[in-house]
Parts: sequence; C-alpha cells; structure tokens
Amino acid sequence: MLSNKVIENVLYAALSKGGDFAEIFVEDKYNTNMKLVGGLLETSISGRDFGVGIRIFDKLNSIYAYTNDSSEENLIKVAKEAAAALQSSKIDLTLNFIKNESRNLSPVKLLPRTITKKDKLDLMKKGYESAKNYDPVISQVSVNYLDEEQNILIANTEGLLADDKRVRTRIAVSSVASKDGEMQQGYHAPGASMGFEFFDKINIEEVGKEASRIAKTMVYAEHCPSGVMPVIIDNEFGGVLFHEACGHGLEATSVAKGTSVFCDKLEQMVASPLVTAIDDGTIPNEWGTLNIDDEGTPTQRNVLIENGILKSYLIDKLNGRRMGMDSTGSSRRQSYKFAPTSRMNNTYIAAGESTLKEMISNTEKGLYAKKLGGGSVNTSTGDFNFAVMEGYLVENGKVLKPVRGATLIGNGIKVLELIDMVGNDLEMGQGMCGSISGSVPVNVGQPSIRVKSLTVGGRKGDE
Amino acid sequence: MDYKKLANDIFEQGKDKMEEMEIFIQKSKGIEIKVFNGEIDKYSISESGGLSLRGISNEKMGYAYTEKIDESSIDMLIDEAFENGKYIDSLDKENIFAGSDKYEEVDNYNEGLNNVALEDKIEFVKNLEKEALAIDNKVFAVEDCVYEDFERNRYLINTKGVDLSDKSNGAFSYISVIAKEGEDTKTGLSYRISNDFSKFNYKEMAKEAVEEAISLLGATSIKSNNYPVVFKNQIFAEIIGAFIPVFSAEEVQKGLSLLKDKIGTKLANEKLSIVDDPFLKGGFATKAFDDEGTKTQYKKIIDNGVLNTYLHNWKTAEKDGIESTGNGCRTSYKSSLSIFPTNLYVEKGDKTFDELIGSIDNGLYIINVAGLHSGLNTVSGDYSLSAYGYEIENGKIKRPVNQITIAGNLYETLMNIEEIGNDLSFTTAMGGAFVGSPSVKIKSISVAGE
Repeated sequence: MLSNKVIENVLYAALSKGGDFAEIFVEDKYNTNMKLVGGLLETSISGRDFGVGIRIFDKLNSIYAYTNDSSEENLIKVAKEAAAALQSSKIDLTLNFIKNESRNLSPVKLLPRTITKKDKLDLMKKGYESAKNYDPVISQVSVNYLDEEQNILIANTEGLLADDKRVRTRIAVSSVASKDGEMQQGYHAPGASMGFEFFDKINIEEVGKEASRIAKTMVYAEHCPSGVMPVIIDNEFGGVLFHEACGHGLEATSVAKGTSVFCDKLEQMVASPLVTAIDDGTIPNEWGTLNIDDEGTPTQRNVLIENGILKSYLIDKLNGRRMGMDSTGSSRRQSYKFAPTSRMNNTYIAAGESTLKEMISNTEKGLYAKKLGGGSVNTSTGDFNFAVMEGYLVENGKVLKPVRGATLIGNGIKVLELIDMVGNDLEMGQGMCGSISGSVPVNVGQPSIRVKSLTVGGRKGDE
Repeated sequence: MDYKKLANDIFEQGKDKMEEMEIFIQKSKGIEIKVFNGEIDKYSISESGGLSLRGISNEKMGYAYTEKIDESSIDMLIDEAFENGKYIDSLDKENIFAGSDKYEEVDNYNEGLNNVALEDKIEFVKNLEKEALAIDNKVFAVEDCVYEDFERNRYLINTKGVDLSDKSNGAFSYISVIAKEGEDTKTGLSYRISNDFSKFNYKEMAKEAVEEAISLLGATSIKSNNYPVVFKNQIFAEIIGAFIPVFSAEEVQKGLSLLKDKIGTKLANEKLSIVDDPFLKGGFATKAFDDEGTKTQYKKIIDNGVLNTYLHNWKTAEKDGIESTGNGCRTSYKSSLSIFPTNLYVEKGDKTFDELIGSIDNGLYIINVAGLHSGLNTVSGDYSLSAYGYEIENGKIKRPVNQITIAGNLYETLMNIEEIGNDLSFTTAMGGAFVGSPSVKIKSISVAGE
C-alpha cells in the first residue's frame, strides 16, 4: 500500500521533534451494505474507505493524526504537524524493518468482492421469506447484509512491519410482530471472519425463523415485573453480561489510569470460584478474531479470570507503558480514524458442569433471560445495565410465561460473586462493541449461568 | 481540490449508464486535546472526508462512495453505483431534486473559534482538570478531561443544476470526575457544546462535575414503586433524541412507528411542543439546505400536545403526495438517503427548576440514564433504563439514589407530562442529533429498585 521508503520517511518526520515511538497504520477497505425491507431491495451501497493514521508516543503522552491523502508529501506534512505538539528533544533513529511471518487464523474461500450482488440478494430474500412466513402475526421483516475486506499495513519505529487482510460477513434479520396496536421486535444476526462461504455453514432460513420466533413470543408476552430475583441467563449472546459487567473494566484503558474497579486486584478473588473467563483473539474464523491486533502484535488467548481469581487485564502498548506490562495483543480500532486502545476480541465464560434444566428446576421464583439485547457499563463504578430481548418468568422450577421489556442492572464485581451455577453449554454470539477507539466486531459467549440475585426492571411493577 | 470539475468529469463519464447523477461530499477537520495529571495525554489532529455518487438508471437509484477523492476513483464509482442500482426493487421512487427557488441566509460558522490559539485551548483543558482536582479532597481522579473542535464542509452538486455548499464549526468539552469515600466511588460530569469559545468556563464546569460526584456518594436504591419524576433537562433531551425515528415518515410508512394515522391527534399534555428549527442560532444542525438540496424550514412536530407533521425527505413526501419538509439526510457519504431532524427541542415552559422539585412530596429527580441504545424500543415505544439521581421528599432533594431502573412507554410518558421547566439546554444525542429540552416533570413512572 505504501513503499518502505515512504513509510521510513514518514516515521522519521514523526520523530523529528522528539518522542520515542512512532507508528503508521494504513487502511484500504471495501464495504458492501444491502438492505431489504418487506421483501424488496431498498438500498445497496458499496465503497472504499482509505486513510492513514500516524501515532507518536513521548513517554506516556500520545499524539494521533489521520488523513485520506496518502501522497508522500502530505503524509510527511501531517507527521510534522503532529510532531509540532512535542517539546522534547530529538532522538537518534535507525530503522530496520523485520517483516513478521504471518499466520492466517481465518482462511477465506470466497472473497465477497468476487460474489455478485444478485447472489447476495437471493440469500437475503431467502432469509426474508422464512421470517415472513413464520407466522401471520409477523407484520414487517427487514434483512441487512454486510461484507467487508479490510487491508491493513502497520509499521513502527521498533522495526515492526506487518500487513493483513481481514474479511468479514454478516447477515441480520429483524422481524416485527404486531397485535392490537402493539409491536415487538425480534433480531438475529450471525457473522464471522469468513467469506461468502459463511452462508454454507449457517442456515439462512433458521436465522429468519429465529428472529420471527422472538418477535412472536414477545408480542404475546406480558410486561415484566420488577424487583430483585434470581436470573438465569441463557448461553450464547448472554455473554454480553460478562462483556459489559466485567470485560470493559479489565481493559487497560480504564485500568492504567487507576479508575477501574478491577485495579490492583490481580491474583485476588473477584468472582465466584465457578467463574473462568477468557478473551481469545485466535479462535479460527470467529467474528472477533484477528491475526494481529491494530498495533501489529499477534493476538493471543488471555485468561482473564481463573476459578474466580483475576489473572490478566487486556493491554495495549501505550497503557502497557503506564502499567509496566506487555501488550496482550488486544489493541483495536474501528478504522484509521481512531487511535487504537485495549479492547476485547472473543470474550467468554468457560463451560461449567450444570445444565440449564437444573438451573430452572432449582429456581423457585425468578427470571429466565433467553436472549439479551445490548447494554453498557460505567467502568469507574462498575454499574451496568442491559436489556432482555426475550425473557420468561420462572416459578416453582418451571418456565411459566414470556415477559417483555425487562432490564437487568447491577454492579460488575458483585454480580461475578453472585454467579452460583455455570452450565456446560458454551456458545458464542456476535456483536459490535462501541468504545473510545470506535465500534469493533466482538464475540460474546457463555454457557447458561444463574445469578443468585439481580435487580430486574420492568413496567409491571412489584409482584 | 476543484470538486466542481471532478463532479463534471464523473457526470460526463457516467451519462451512458445513468440518466441523472448527484455528488455529495463531506470534508471535516478537527483537533482533540485530552489531559491527564496535568499533561497532554492525547492530542489528535485530523483531516478527512469522502465522496458519494448516486445515480438513476431505469428509475432505480444506486450508490457508491470513496475516501480517495480523485480521478482514480471515477470508474469504480460509476460501475459500483450502476451495479448497486440494478437490483433495487423498492416501489418507492427516489429522485434527484432540482433545487428550491430560494434559501434562507444562515451563518453557522464562527470565524472567532478558528482564531483561538492552540495554546489557549490546551490551557483551558489543563485548567479544567486542575480546578476539578483542587475543589474537594474527595475527588479521587479526573477520568476524562477533553476539548475538541471541528470544521465541516458540505458540497452537493447534481445533473439537475443544484450546486450548493456550506461550512460549519463547533467545539465540545467534557469532564468526568470520580469522587471516593471509603469503598464508595461515584462519577460526576459536565459538558459544554458551542461554537463560541468564550462559553467554555472551566470553573463552572469543574464545579458542576465535582458537586455532582460528591452529592452522589452514599447513594442507595429505593423501594420499587411508581413515583413522580423530574428529568434533568439534558437527560430528557437524550431520551427524546433516542426516539427520533418515530417522527420519521419513512418509519411511519414502513409500519415501524406507532405515529401512523396520528396526525392531528393529541399525543401529549398540551403544555408540550416539540420543534424542528434549522435556523437556531448556534445550533449544531443549523443549515439552509438539507442533504437533497431542499430549503430547510421551521416546524412544530408536536404543537401543544397535538401531532402536527412527520419529518419528510422527497422520497417519503412524494409517496404521501406532499412536499419535502427539508429533512432529507445523508448520515454520511457512506449512507443512502434517510430522514433526520435539524435542531430538535422541547419548547420551554414557565416553571422554574425549583418549582418542579417543590411540587413533589415523594418522588425522584433523575440526572442520568444508561442503556438508551439497548433498553429502548423505537417501534413499541417501550423503554427500560438504568438510572440515578436523587430522592425528593416534601419538595426538597433529600438523598442520592442509584441502582434503579425506570420503565415506561414513550407515548404514555408524553401523556403523563405534568409540567415543563424554563431551563432549556441542548445536548448531542444518538446519531449526532442536536437535541434540547428543559427539565420535565412526569406524573408517574415505574421505578424498580429494592
């Protein structure tokens, strides 16, 4: 994308006024987005993102600049403008790039750019048909298709030179069920670090049916009662609980500055001994998998919590300096428009020994959250919240009836201590995680778990 | 770069494939300064943008974009836009607009902001952090202390004669502090949005954030019940902002808004009016033309409790047999045409903030909600949000409250509005909307706590 000579000149310019580390990130990305509403293709957009980000460290301070204009002249101008903010003295620099042997964790068979729009559309229509025909109560279905091919090049003054091609494919079906002037939505959106062959692996008709099943269930559901109760959270996307409640608090972004509730707690008990949690950027073809992170460090499998004991944080280079620790290959950014920082990849709670059936039969009165929506967390206090897309009341060890509109709130460390059953049915779901370095694809995952007591918010009030 | 020439080259080369074409360009540049422990922790500068081509072939609109804005992208843009249009089978025709007869004069660019020296901006952020750390020894850390400003340029050129451009600028500052007492930590925040640098007062901001964090120490939950609630102005603005899609004619026509067939009917207490005002002085969404080249217009969406209009672009307007309301929007050059308000706000009422609080025997004052992107359903209007604030007793703020959720339905909440304050304040809500509201009192909201 850029010649070694240009890269060298830009890096020299970046350190011309001082600083001790400079990095260049070049991105050339092809995107396709298509949207089908009511069975008709409504929009189809494709295009090319292209830009360059330049980063300079001066001890713990960092400077970031980005531009779309990749001419050598402009890049040197931008690097010098960025460097102008530094007031330290210039260091001697000799660059000698060593190209790392690359691995490919996510092989791609059918590059999306080589697939016709017609084939993509046919797939979407299949998803639409199965969702729409699921039940007469389904009033509207929309299907979104996206694929992306991100080509990156990273080089820095430590001599690193790395490139990668990241291909991702995803389809999302959103169904609306209407009854008596009320509407409820169901949503299912699998994705992977794969090419178009992803759709041979999953059954698009099942994706449509799943979205409609949730919408239909919820339109017949009553409002959820509120109060403090045991909550059983199903596997797969239920992992967003750990992601929000704890994952963000383990990112060096908040740990390095001493503001996270998990600060100074390494090797301490922070969770129920039943909990082992892992962030693994190396799982082949998964949505959150990367060969190298956005600083060029190979991703790895990071055990965050082992049998309740805090083992590791998620660390990027800059925060690693602040913490005196090495990068864990966790530095990510949405695009060249963002300076990278520590983020999650594929994060999950490891499987335990219980079964979902046992959890339900051991619950006298509580909530079974089968599908969770999104959520958020304040990493300083650990307070989190998330929405229950599909929930059921449990009474006397049995699933009683569906309930809608529930929200779960709690506090990160406390909720980890309150997990009293962990299932044997680990699965992962896909999501987009938004934080200071933008929106990045992540897997969340867990087996079904039970939390002894959580605050459930709902419109029906106290029961 | 001569965009006019580039556009003409694209139109010339694309005319064999597409009958009408339009170029939409967004450029932006900005800086961001973040301070931590008295030093510049992060300094960013940026200059970027993109170009979108949309074109009609066989009555179908296709889109393509690029961030490489030069001649080398022309072929790709034309081929992709043509391909993307080929399979469109939506029955709603999307046309390219020939332009309005005249446009209001608006000036949304403050030269003064441009002239503020970088040193002064850095000084401001450093002072903000220093002040916050000095006010009270319960302040444990300043979590975020940021100043950023931007300048945006917009160009719209099409084969029907539209040739428009404008520019705007603005600045934003934000501080979040952490107060600590024993094991108890609470955050407090304050922010300012303006394109006038003199509006950024670090002493005021630091004081607001620190006072908020300290006042929340010792917060506990509250018994689950229905309570009268006062929403802080910026928080009610955020909630209204999250429900923006319900006012879009596109959502209405698709059956995704419950406001279908509701024009002329009473939706809310008659004290409530919601305005879309593209000419608001200092508004971040102030503009004379929308992203289709249509002149913008002032309108009341809800007028004294009655739904007055939806927001339209030409695509939805033609479907309803009316004219566009000037709300055609391209969220970015990467997006297709959609609908978005300009500066949207709840008109201020006549009650002071103290009067709102004073009117409640036992209730809540909510100063923050979380979960707007997940705990809120624009289709059903249902929301369930994590919240914190204070308990009100006998007309006075009594104690901090957290670990609660508030739940309800937008349409019921609008009906349950009892009083509207006179303290209109603006915020940037989801999707970059510029939304304002005064503090608002709701008769009753379901609160889940202990």
